[in-house]
Amino acid sequence: MANDIEKKPSSSTTAFKIIIGITLMLAGGYLNSQHTFKSIEEPLAAQGIPLTFGNTISVIGVFLILFPVLNSFFFAPLMTAINERNRELENTFSEAESLRKEMGDMKSAYEKRISDTEAEAREKIQAQLKEAQDLRTQLMADAATAKEHMIAQAQEEISREKDKIMNELRVEVVNLALGATEKLIGENVNNETNKRLVQEFIEKAEVPSK
Amino acid sequence: MLDLIFRGSFIASGAAAGGESHAADAGHHAVSYTGVMVYVGFVIAILIVCMVLAKKGLNNRFFKNKITASFEQLYYFIENLAVGIIGPHGRKYIPMLMVFWLMIFVSNLVSLFFDTAPTADLGFNLAMALMAIGYVQWEGIRANGVIGHFSHFAGPKLTGALIGINFLIFPIEIISEAMKNLSLTLRLYGNIHGGHQAVTAMNKLGEPWVPVGAFLLPVKLLTCVVQALIFCLLLCVYIGLVTHHEHEEGHAHDDDHGHEDHSATLEPEASPA
Repeated sequence: MANDIEKKPSSSTTAFKIIIGITLMLAGGYLNSQHTFKSIEEPLAAQGIPLTFGNTISVIGVFLILFPVLNSFFFAPLMTAINERNRELENTFSEAESLRKEMGDMKSAYEKRISDTEAEAREKIQAQLKEAQDLRTQLMADAATAKEHMIAQAQEEISREKDKIMNELRVEVVNLALGATEKLIGENVNNETNKRLVQEFIEKAEVPSK
Repeated sequence: MLDLIFRGSFIASGAAAGGESHAADAGHHAVSYTGVMVYVGFVIAILIVCMVLAKKGLNNRFFKNKITASFEQLYYFIENLAVGIIGPHGRKYIPMLMVFWLMIFVSNLVSLFFDTAPTADLGFNLAMALMAIGYVQWEGIRANGVIGHFSHFAGPKLTGALIGINFLIFPIEIISEAMKNLSLTLRLYGNIHGGHQAVTAMNKLGEPWVPVGAFLLPVKLLTCVVQALIFCLLLCVYIGLVTHHEHEEGHAHDDDHGHEDHSATLEPEASPA
């Protein structure tokens, strides 16, 4: 589009047009001064048609000069300025369009990144929750085991203490019984034999503990 | 002053004194050769001054200079006219159309304030018409070739006995084409010169105190615009008629090649300017 209207005619063509134009201008003036067309112009003027062919020829010359001169002097710069401005505007619009597209791409990339990050965070939270759950289960199991172990140990210790106390009790009872018997019968019986006898008796008479 | 503007002869009479008027009788005064040339020089001087002033405003991105902005608007107006009537390839005729428009419009404006104007001269109008129609023929020959262009004057291609009709149409079309010069010339001359005659006649009604003809000024201003528009519009139509085949063929060529390069079919051609 711009090439069509901005294409300047060659300087030789312009010069040729100007030379022809000047020639026609002078020729028109000369022919008019010589009344060359008088034989045609006077009958026309008599009929109310005031036509002067010298004017016509000269004006054609003027236009032949005017076209290239005005074009190169003003119209070409005007059209160049307008077209450059239009091109600049088109460039600005296309630049804005590409920036808009780039912004859209960035926005979609950003949204994708956000969604990826959210998914990753969700995944991590889920993993942490699962890990915590496992740990809790593990800790619960460990605690239960430790509890069982401690209960068993305590029961064992209780049993052991009980046995120990029972033994001590038995010994004490035997001693008390022997002491009491000794005081009752007033004589010293064979301690070893008596003890053994009492012991056997107590063991036979002992009520088994629950 | 009013007498000078509305009824006086001002420059015209001064310029005419140096030349010779062939038909000063019966109200059909013809401005002398020198007079027309003085007026043409005056119009060109106005244009050059406006363009010099407008050219200063071309450096800005947006034309703040009012004269430059006016020329820009004129450019868009002429572009719309050319592209709308001729087609996309009409852009290359914009400089020529602008020259015609400006010369006619400024000449018509001159006619508002002076006794006569270049466009009130038959010789001047005939010169413009000959330039315009001659250029149309030149463009037609360039677009269709010599034979192709002149074969258009013979009408549609007929065969057999009907071919005689082509021979009848051809001279009629040639005369019609020649008459375009006459119609362009007389239309402009009639409107501008007729405007002067109307003002002169109406001024006689209010002599010597009221310039009644001044009331015609708005109508004459409208005529200035309309006549410039009509001349350029008709020129566009004539150019469009002789070059539209070239453009259509260009489109057909595009279609054949799947619209590969639209601009390539529009051969850049030099305008007459």
